[in-house]
Amino acid sequence: MRPLTLGLAALAASAAVSSAQASILFMGAYPNSLIVFDESKGKVVQRIPLATGLPTSLRASADKKTIYVTTITNSGIEVIDVATRKVTNKFSLNSGNQRYRFNGGAPDPTGKLFYTVLTEITKGVDRFEVSKPKYAVIDLAQQKVVKTFDVAKEDEEGARGYRSTMMVSDDGKYIYQFRDKVVVLDATTFKVIERIDLAKPESPGLEGVSFGSPLDGIAEPGRYVSLFNGADPHVHNRVFGVARFNLSNREFTYTPIGPSPSQMAGLQVAPDGKQAYTVVTNGQTGNKRCEIWRFSMSAYTLQQKAEFPCKSRFTFGMSGNGQKLYMYGASFEIDVYDARSLKFERTWDLQNDITGAGMVITN
Amino acid sequence: MKHLRALNNKARRIEEIVDAAAAAPADGEDQDVVALQQGGNNQPKRPHVPMGCSLAFSPGWEVDATGGTAGLCQPVERDIYDCYVTCFWPAQVPDHVNNSPDWASQCATATKDWRKLDLVFP
Repeated sequence: MRPLTLGLAALAASAAVSSAQASILFMGAYPNSLIVFDESKGKVVQRIPLATGLPTSLRASADKKTIYVTTITNSGIEVIDVATRKVTNKFSLNSGNQRYRFNGGAPDPTGKLFYTVLTEITKGVDRFEVSKPKYAVIDLAQQKVVKTFDVAKEDEEGARGYRSTMMVSDDGKYIYQFRDKVVVLDATTFKVIERIDLAKPESPGLEGVSFGSPLDGIAEPGRYVSLFNGADPHVHNRVFGVARFNLSNREFTYTPIGPSPSQMAGLQVAPDGKQAYTVVTNGQTGNKRCEIWRFSMSAYTLQQKAEFPCKSRFTFGMSGNGQKLYMYGASFEIDVYDARSLKFERTWDLQNDITGAGMVITN
Repeated sequence: MKHLRALNNKARRIEEIVDAAAAAPADGEDQDVVALQQGGNNQPKRPHVPMGCSLAFSPGWEVDATGGTAGLCQPVERDIYDCYVTCFWPAQVPDHVNNSPDWASQCATATKDWRKLDLVFP
């Protein structure tokens, strides 16, 4: 009887651990809600209505206690308390003849301000005037844009940061824009403090280094870990590698790994920091082939590849405990893959199309 | 796929100029060395898809960027909402931001519930 008791105890303990490790996923859903998905149950457990409309981006605070949602219908922001899963603040930036377009952004460490890049649209008597994208400071208590700043001429080319990843240093003094380069801004004046040419100083011989998808997360506090594409200045041979960017002192390390494929998703780093995953796409349309790649983050080597049938558009994510990989987006489903074997396991039906806002995972 | 054919001398001259410009290397690239894996400027030409009922095909629901259908979302309903929100295909889909914010308010899953999408009369 004793072995059986021990066995049952071990089983119970195992179940408890499994349950404890399971996470809660928050995803933007059509037409105007967040769905809360329990990994352990494999189903949607709650729906949070968003009064300001359709969610286009989700951003968790550093402590993962708060989620900031931007919505497009009324150019809104909604703040969600993760513990209670309730909306604690919501407002639309639009007023009178003034409208805004923006997508994503970053909260300051105090949670009082939200930084973004937006376009201002003013309805005149006979026309609409559309501004260039500007840096903007949104006061969450006053529920309005309190300051805007022009983007420096030099940074106007390209995406201008409209959908780029934006981060704020722990002390709230600096804002980082990760785009075709790293632009470091003073959080008070929005003057450019530094443009970090990722090509040369820290990684001699590399040019035109750019970040991968902004959908990857911060694996370590105060750091941004991601995949980069770089090219040498001689024959422009593109290589990809893993970069670790220290947000506090702007130090940057880059370790090249191999020839750059056509497309790579963001890097998903497991909670233990030892393994990381991405999805690589080669070819186009009917010839498109997708593979999951697993990296060792200590040796910076590619450990394993596995091809999988991919959709035309999808987003790559990882479970909270790092044991499952998710393919989702442009549909109502999440395809679940085992992170160890890289094999397909199951499909979760969300019963609701999800938006391109991505996924926030909380424990 | 080539849909337009030059019929007179002027049109033929335009065609020659355009072809010559397309074949010429871009500024700064003629003396450059490019890794073999990049393929340089010798990339195959993309098909010319005529403008029709929509303003943009890149890809649309009719053809994808290569002129085929293999790159389209399958089923196409998977792609409806992202077009609707971003106004990417304004000719085929009501736009969420300006004119039809409630078009999909009764339809959570387009692939399953597309019959619940609202009717919009321009």
